Amino acid sequence: MGGRPIAITTFIAEPMAQRRAGLWTDAWRRLRRNRLALVAATYLLGLVGVAILAVFWTPYSTTHQGIVLPYQGPTPAHPLGGDSLGRDVLSRLMEGAQISLLVGVGTQVVVLALGVPLGLLAGYFRSWLDAALSLLINIFYGVPDLLVALILIVLLGHSGLGQIIFAIAVTRWMDMARLVRGQAMSLREREFVEAARSCGSGTFKILFRHLLPNALGPIIVQATLGIPQAILFEAFLSFLGLGVQPPTPSWGSMAADGVQAIRISPHIVLAPTIALSVTLMAFNFVGDGLRDALDPRQRR
Amino acid sequence: MSPPLLEVRDLRIRFFTEDGEVRAVEGVSFDLQEGEILGIVGESGCGKSMTALSIMGLVPEPGRVTGGEIRFKGRDLLSMAPDEVRDIRGKDIAMIFQDPLSSLNPVLKTGFQVAEPMLAHQRADKRRALARAVDLLRQVRVPAAEQRARDYPFQLSGGMRQRAMIAMGLANAPSMLIADEPTTALDVTVQAQILDLLRTLNRETRTAIVLITHNLAVVAGLCSRVIVMYAGQIVEEGSVFDLFERPQHPYTWLLLRSVPRLDRTRPERLRSIEGLPPDLIAPPPGCRFHPRCPFRIEPCFTEPPPLQEVGPGQRAACWVTMRRAHEEMGAATLLDVRPGAGSGVHGPIREPHRG
Amino acid sequence: MRWRGTLLYIGQRLLLIVFTVLAVSSIVFIGIHRLPGSVFVSERLRASQMQALLHQYGLDRPLWEQYRDFLLGLLHGDLGISYVNQGVRISPLVGREALVSAEVGALALLFTIGLGMLLGVLAAIRQNTWLDYLFTSTAVVGYSMPNFVVATFLLLVFAVFLQRATGGMLYYQIGWTGTFGSLGEISIPAFALGFPYASVVARLTRASMLEVIRQDYIRTARAKGLPEQLVIVRHALRNALIPVITILGPLVIGILTGSVVIENIFGIPGLGKEFVQSILNRDYNIVVGVFTMYAALVGIANLLVDLLYPLVDPRIRY
Repeated sequence: MGGRPIAITTFIAEPMAQRRAGLWTDAWRRLRRNRLALVAATYLLGLVGVAILAVFWTPYSTTHQGIVLPYQGPTPAHPLGGDSLGRDVLSRLMEGAQISLLVGVGTQVVVLALGVPLGLLAGYFRSWLDAALSLLINIFYGVPDLLVALILIVLLGHSGLGQIIFAIAVTRWMDMARLVRGQAMSLREREFVEAARSCGSGTFKILFRHLLPNALGPIIVQATLGIPQAILFEAFLSFLGLGVQPPTPSWGSMAADGVQAIRISPHIVLAPTIALSVTLMAFNFVGDGLRDALDPRQRR
Repeated sequence: MSPPLLEVRDLRIRFFTEDGEVRAVEGVSFDLQEGEILGIVGESGCGKSMTALSIMGLVPEPGRVTGGEIRFKGRDLLSMAPDEVRDIRGKDIAMIFQDPLSSLNPVLKTGFQVAEPMLAHQRADKRRALARAVDLLRQVRVPAAEQRARDYPFQLSGGMRQRAMIAMGLANAPSMLIADEPTTALDVTVQAQILDLLRTLNRETRTAIVLITHNLAVVAGLCSRVIVMYAGQIVEEGSVFDLFERPQHPYTWLLLRSVPRLDRTRPERLRSIEGLPPDLIAPPPGCRFHPRCPFRIEPCFTEPPPLQEVGPGQRAACWVTMRRAHEEMGAATLLDVRPGAGSGVHGPIREPHRG
Repeated sequence: MRWRGTLLYIGQRLLLIVFTVLAVSSIVFIGIHRLPGSVFVSERLRASQMQALLHQYGLDRPLWEQYRDFLLGLLHGDLGISYVNQGVRISPLVGREALVSAEVGALALLFTIGLGMLLGVLAAIRQNTWLDYLFTSTAVVGYSMPNFVVATFLLLVFAVFLQRATGGMLYYQIGWTGTFGSLGEISIPAFALGFPYASVVARLTRASMLEVIRQDYIRTARAKGLPEQLVIVRHALRNALIPVITILGPLVIGILTGSVVIENIFGIPGLGKEFVQSILNRDYNIVVGVFTMYAALVGIANLLVDLLYPLVDPRIRY
């Protein structure tokens, strides 16, 4: 009983693996030709570098007040000037990058942990599980996400980074679940899954060894495009004073601080808003680039 | 004889694609007399629809008319300003299309769509145009015309939709109607009704009709004169009787053999034509049909045959013609119609010099 | 007869809205009242005073009794009293604010659809020209710009630079004067609110327009000799609108969501501003009230969108 099924599985799995490797090299080749996505990816790598650097070193303290004159414009020593409490804007911007990236990636980790198993189970087993998940997804799509996140933050008690990430993920998991569900639904009918099933592979193994790897491309694209949405959400929450609590800098709260002083020193609001917009754009370009590279049929 | 209603001279249409220039129509010339029904027959992709669309000035991107003349009532449509052509479109020349469901706008009421050509060309007020649209629908035998005029296209049956299309074409009493495969998307019984309607209209209103089809039975029932097109060129032209009785081009002959005929006592074996239509980016040299022709001779490989008189009012573009094929190659009893099977010629004797 | 189905449909949907509103507000009510500590902890009171306050608001009673009273009030359209601004009744307050938010939101929706479709159509009929590239790249930028960033830039331009340049002639007052905003007061917030979504609409319109323009019925319209503008407006646009209508629902929700931020930047006395204020003030009765109002607004907006469908696409009937 033991020997043969395994032999068959390896026989079937091998060409699959080869095809997949080909897919990834092809995708990489197509991605390399996409200049815009490459520039955006380079920027994001730099941003990650800055965020890591900010853990160990920033030009000045991010929380000490009165390092510069309040509302001080850009000077050689403080290239981005000082904020309303005389803190160095550049240093705070660097630490803000760290917060944004943590929230962006952290949220997607939670979204993956929620959406992938739910989507796989619903798509593979159909039946009541699928009906229940679809209903849940539709309910969540029907309520304004930011409001739900705000209420959640209130209910969770005002807020550390963990709570913020959780609150955002709760309003953002549906796209991923729906995507994985669709993938699982179409993949379960394919020959190699049928083969694995007839060879007596366990359900868990089929789901995570056969279905998941083949759905990886779209999942990666979805997660990449989910990061800027999460970053945007954190910025919203912090902008409203309900996200990351002061004195920890976040691009959203820095922008809120700057709007108050927009008439006298616009640089305070411009620095975080421009950083935020460029970062969101970069993630969107990379996401679009990945989608085009991984699924050339979808190209417009 | 009065001057023809439409004269097409040496029409050329090319499609500028990434793979190269597709020579969709090359050197097509024909006349259409007033009140005549002319059929244009050929396989899909032979250029018959493009010829029709070029008359309307509607050749789609990336195609362009690259040469020739299209004279309508003596005026060249190709050298007119776009606004002048638009003025003729839908008023003097109307066109109806193959699939009436996709050709009617799904979000506009049928009556309004029928009335629209009048609104565009006659400065008629909307109420009068809508009333006239109901009359037109009645004229093309749409039952309960008032009700149907208020319906959307998706609420009508296929036959009703095509009748509505025809009513739309007739709205401005055009002197010429182009019908591009008007019955292809319809049931057989409905097909007959639509053809009957076209025949009646032609008799009653003297509207000239250009009927484009791949269906020879449709042509036989309706047309007085027929043009056969192959690979962007006219291969044969003549009256419907001559063409069906004495086809002179091997392509026409093969087309007719591939149609089951009920009036033959001894049923022949049904046969399709061997091979595929040629690639129009790089069409074959000589006669474009020679790669599929059972009666080809050496000149066919190198020299394009001119369209020349083969009988009274009948012209064909062939170096051999079926008269010779019958006399010398026993075409009537030929069962094998593979390329070169009748003539025994499988290539030019002398290989063309290269370099 | 034709309207009976529609009326029945509207009735069913209204019932669903009432149910949703009840469910949503119940969840929030119970969730918030289970929070540890009371709403008055931040006020410095003696224990006896605190007790009196809690009693006055009925907060010393068991939760289920409070919830029962809340539900009964809700069914009569009464959302209770504010804790912080003591004695202020919430229902009229929130009702007025909902109208303000709806006013700004409606204008934003108009911007979104008008601007988005205009840019999308122009890009589509001028496909692969510099205009198309300009609009398409603007759409990507707009899509990536949070609405508060757009708002900030607009403020910079209108309230700062233009004011300096014109010596105050084009002075733009930040803040709100009357009960309802004038067009001058709401148009800039509405633009900031709608712009990111206009990019989405533009992208969608361009794609669907390019699809529609290849359809057979467009060829038919041209064959009738219609002028090109009429072909585009009457024949292509109506059909290109259909996929755009399908995202109207999410769009309305997005605009409502965005209004929370925009109202706080521009000082618009709408639901969004109240929502954030009351959260910061821990005025939880108002939080529940605003959220209830939002749920109702979303439900009604979605119903209106669904009723629009058959007007644009006659193939859809209820």
